[in-house]
Amino acid sequence: MTAGPEPEDRAPELVPLNAIFATDFTQILVPVTTANTMAEVAAAVAYHVEGKRVRALPYAKVVIYHGERLPADMTVAAAGIEPLDHIAVEYDIPEQS
Amino acid sequence: MALLKREEWQGFVRDVDWSCSYVDDEAVYPEWHSGTGKVPREAWRAWEESYKVSYPEYVATQREKEAAVYAVKAALQRSSAFDSLSEGWKSATKVHFGGVALVEFTGVLAELKMARFGLAGAWRNMAVFGQLDELRHAAITTSFGHELIAKDPQYDWTQKAFHTNDWVAISLRNLFDAMMTSSNAVDIALQLPLVFETGFTNLQFVALAADALASGDVNFANMISSIQTDEARHSQQGGPTLEILVEHDPVRAQWVVDKAFWGSARAFAALTGPAMDYYTPLEHRKQSYREFMEEWIIDQFVRTLEQYGLNKPWYWDEFLRGLDTWHHGLHMGLWFWRPTIWWRPMAAVSRDERTWLAEKYPNWEKVYGDKWDVIIDNVNNNDVEATLPETLPWLCTTCHLPCCNATQSRAGTWRVRDVRLSYDGRIYHFCTNACRQIFWKDRANVNHETLVDRFLAGQIQPMDVGGILSYMGLTPDVMGDDPDYEAWTRDYAGRPAEGIAAAVRS
Repeated sequence: MTAGPEPEDRAPELVPLNAIFATDFTQILVPVTTANTMAEVAAAVAYHVEGKRVRALPYAKVVIYHGERLPADMTVAAAGIEPLDHIAVEYDIPEQS
Repeated sequence: MALLKREEWQGFVRDVDWSCSYVDDEAVYPEWHSGTGKVPREAWRAWEESYKVSYPEYVATQREKEAAVYAVKAALQRSSAFDSLSEGWKSATKVHFGGVALVEFTGVLAELKMARFGLAGAWRNMAVFGQLDELRHAAITTSFGHELIAKDPQYDWTQKAFHTNDWVAISLRNLFDAMMTSSNAVDIALQLPLVFETGFTNLQFVALAADALASGDVNFANMISSIQTDEARHSQQGGPTLEILVEHDPVRAQWVVDKAFWGSARAFAALTGPAMDYYTPLEHRKQSYREFMEEWIIDQFVRTLEQYGLNKPWYWDEFLRGLDTWHHGLHMGLWFWRPTIWWRPMAAVSRDERTWLAEKYPNWEKVYGDKWDVIIDNVNNNDVEATLPETLPWLCTTCHLPCCNATQSRAGTWRVRDVRLSYDGRIYHFCTNACRQIFWKDRANVNHETLVDRFLAGQIQPMDVGGILSYMGLTPDVMGDDPDYEAWTRDYAGRPAEGIAAAVRS
């Protein structure tokens, strides 16, 4: 029996996520794929909330998964995010000096 | 011939039991229907209701009640009272009709189960009256709602709501099936008469009646007040049942009561909370939902627990904190997902209304005001499209309501936090810790699938907003929308607005 291709080499698969955007009032369903980067995932979540319930801020957005901030170019597959997992998307607000 | 004195006949008519000689007792009162559990069979002989009634007395009283309530209805039918009601209040009644009419019928089934499988003659006798009560409530609620269909097709959901896969209906079916349909007689007596009826229906039928009268809806107030007069009698099935169960199995008694209280609290936060704090016109609000809960539910529930030697539920602190958040989050959810409901939710966040909300709930502006401000700015920018949903809110596996309960961190930050559980190869999400705990302890039960589960399983086709609305039975003529956007946005017209949807798109 041979091992299958590495997760990041497989055809993109649908990954429905439980997501919350910043200070929004509810978790929402957001479908992404294993090939999406964290920048794309953040944008997919923000699409439903930013400027609609949470005022848009001029900062980059970061995906937080199991308490860890994930790099913008990391894919869903590489991050090990699974269907029905929870992610939070927050504005990456620079700390006040 | 002289009539017998009451004490000479009452025992025979209210507490006749059978001594089975051809079959075992277990065959007549099987555990899965009767639910005696650790309680010795003979212990139930002590079951006694405190307020006793005979069948002729019952019929005479009920006849008078029916005559009175329908007389008022007939008189008001000829008036134009309904036309002068606010849209907000009408929504409160639509929520009630759709959410309650068929729950009353489920109540018939629960009472019938106790009338057949209750473990004492007196209990079964009382449950016969109880099922007649519930049948009256189902009929009266359906009749009053039906009357209004000609004026507004959303009232058709009085009878329709429970037969659909609308997410609110699924949530209510999930709660009441667990409480009434699939439970045994002992658990029903604790969950329905004791917790739900002596506890929560006070809120819906007495407190909401006060708001109804203040809002000028005499007919609705009359209807729910008439229903409430029955509750006092049949709800007393809970006390004697709990008393016996506590003596032999206090752990089970505590668990069943705790679970029923939690489920009821979640449902009332979704339906009664918005009706009281948002849909009822500001000038007609008697108290806030929180104040009603404190006065009508919490004090009484705690007294009941103490009376029977039970403890406060393990989730008590989480429940009390939720009084400041649950129904506000749910109101925003019902409003934002308004095409998915059968009433017209008033946003009700004008300056005066927000002043009232902030006075009643000191954290309201901090937790909810910022989101409403963005919504208001979008409406004032003629961008209502940005206030409509394009995906589903995540629904709690246990209560089927949106996971929308913000909590405050030690650092003071308000966020909706993930409450999850990995079990049997999949991930579940919950709105609260208590919903997760209830799922865990009851995980062997067959539960309804949430709308999100159904969507992800491909049961809803096409997999888009149109497919979801169609699956839920919503048609354009009854789909919810805000009845008056200007009423709550005009105070803010003309103010500068940054970071709204138009800015994101550009």
